[in-house]
Amino acid sequence: MSDRKTERLINLTLALLATKRYLKKSEILTNVQGYEGTQEAKERMFERDKDDLRSLGIEIEVGDLDVFFEDEPGYRIPQKSYELNVPNLTGRELALLSIASSYWNDSILAPTAHSGIRKLQSLGIPAALDLDFQIKYRFENPSDLLEQLSKAILEKSRITFSYDSPSLKLRHLEPYRILFWNSFWYLIGMDLDRKGIRLFKLSRFLGDLEMSKKKNEFQIPSDFVVANFLPKSDPEIVHTARVEIRRDCAALLRRRGELITQGTDFDTYEINYETERAFLREIVWHGTNVRIIGPENLKTSLITLLDGAIK
Amino acid sequence: MSESALDRTARALDLVPYLLEHQGISIPELAAVFGTSEKQINDDLILIHMCGLPGYTPLELIEMYYEDGYVTVSDPQSLKKPRNMNRAEMTSLLVSLDLLKSTRSDAISDEIEGLKLKLKGALAIENPFVVINNSKGSQFIEDIESAIAHGKALKITYLSGSKDESTERSILPLELYQENEFAYVSAWCQSSEADRTFRLDRIANLEVVKNGTITKKFTNNSLKDELASIELNVSKSARTFIEDNRGVIADVVEGGDFRVRLHPIDSDWLSRTILGYGSEIEVVEPRELSDDIKARAKAIRALYPKP
Repeated sequence: MSDRKTERLINLTLALLATKRYLKKSEILTNVQGYEGTQEAKERMFERDKDDLRSLGIEIEVGDLDVFFEDEPGYRIPQKSYELNVPNLTGRELALLSIASSYWNDSILAPTAHSGIRKLQSLGIPAALDLDFQIKYRFENPSDLLEQLSKAILEKSRITFSYDSPSLKLRHLEPYRILFWNSFWYLIGMDLDRKGIRLFKLSRFLGDLEMSKKKNEFQIPSDFVVANFLPKSDPEIVHTARVEIRRDCAALLRRRGELITQGTDFDTYEINYETERAFLREIVWHGTNVRIIGPENLKTSLITLLDGAIK
Repeated sequence: MSESALDRTARALDLVPYLLEHQGISIPELAAVFGTSEKQINDDLILIHMCGLPGYTPLELIEMYYEDGYVTVSDPQSLKKPRNMNRAEMTSLLVSLDLLKSTRSDAISDEIEGLKLKLKGALAIENPFVVINNSKGSQFIEDIESAIAHGKALKITYLSGSKDESTERSILPLELYQENEFAYVSAWCQSSEADRTFRLDRIANLEVVKNGTITKKFTNNSLKDELASIELNVSKSARTFIEDNRGVIADVVEGGDFRVRLHPIDSDWLSRTILGYGSEIEVVEPRELSDDIKARAKAIRALYPKP
């Protein structure tokens, strides 16, 4: 059964693609192999087939026939929209694309990337093999939500989802962009409860998301640039700590600090840091080889942290 | 098992132009390229063989030969060119290119931008994805890639992140990868006779060894001082521990806090790391790990005498 339908769909595509003029429905039903049964059954079959081919992204053009024919619409598949055409694509570019698409391993983006590559490989471009690229990518697996989120973004439909955060659980959002940032996936958009642009980690979405049935509910501001909304290092919040580092220890810490004085057992350095928590973790990591001299509040935080671990 | 007629149609329409450019390809290869079984490819070919243009005489059918498992198309009828890409395919390729660009130097980013423009000419879409990578990159990437490609050994000066020491090592690089903000190379390290992973920003110096190769020895013994069955209670405020160390985490159960089990791992590194989270991470087991962390905490605490 599926064989016969597949065969008919292929035959229909071939016929509509081969014709320069529009084919009348009656011509199609008589000449294209696979249309059987009563006139009514054939017509229903044809209507379904057209919908099926369109769902594959194939454009079927409907045109009025010559006045000499009866008043019956005609059909054809315009070659220009059916066929993939990437002028001047080079073998090197094709190789770049293959390497790039291999990053997805077996994640949710891999099948579509691979079928895209396959189509490009059917264009008859000689392959280039002179690329030594070896770097691979390991990242948080993209969640199953990507497809739905893409759809919401393209259709400009609002979404509602539960988010794992201490405060507000249920979020209402106008989704702007899916962001892949340093190996993690995020969604950025206008948070309707907080009235501002916010960033959400996809791994913290709980359960399914709900997408509004309406389309074009919002517009992405034309001057919207994702990079402007990322938490970034701010020179205003850089602090400087003074630490003692034992001789021949903590080479990594030394690399990003400035030597103030050299001692027999310990050298004194000044080191810049942004977040206290992360910096304390780095200090503690070095055990008794690194000692904070100041500022006083950093020292106090360290003592609190250590006492927390000891209790 | 039953695949929809629509999926099969899509594949058949893609198979013919692909075959036309890959004449004489084998059935197993085709199955791999199209991500399906050899039987399915066989069935598809039999079906395609019967399709063609109205008239359906041998002259109007798609003409192909398959002999001993190798396929050749001699007349594709109107299926000479591949179908245009759909939105999902185009989006995936554009995101892939953005990802590639984010790991590469400026010279290639211009090339990639040009390529993206060419692709968008085939199908203009709004791309819902943005890729940003704050990786600092490394001056050594190209040397390492070329060494991997040609099986060459490298001599590096490495600032260890788990032992706090700087060492000279001879390595045979095997794999280069990007994870979170950092690039890593995993290699056979001759100096320690084991597989080791090095973070590129901690390589202080690198030299390609002229005419030098190292042969990897295959060993099974694990060389680290490893702890097995480690279980931690990680409070939500310390979730960066989980996000930054996915590689060593076996599983995470979410309750009020996270209950995290780790793969066997170097105990020195783990103690140093957990201690940095203070009371936010509690060791459930083993006991020796929690004792070790407490001892370290006390030693550091002794550096700061109470006033």
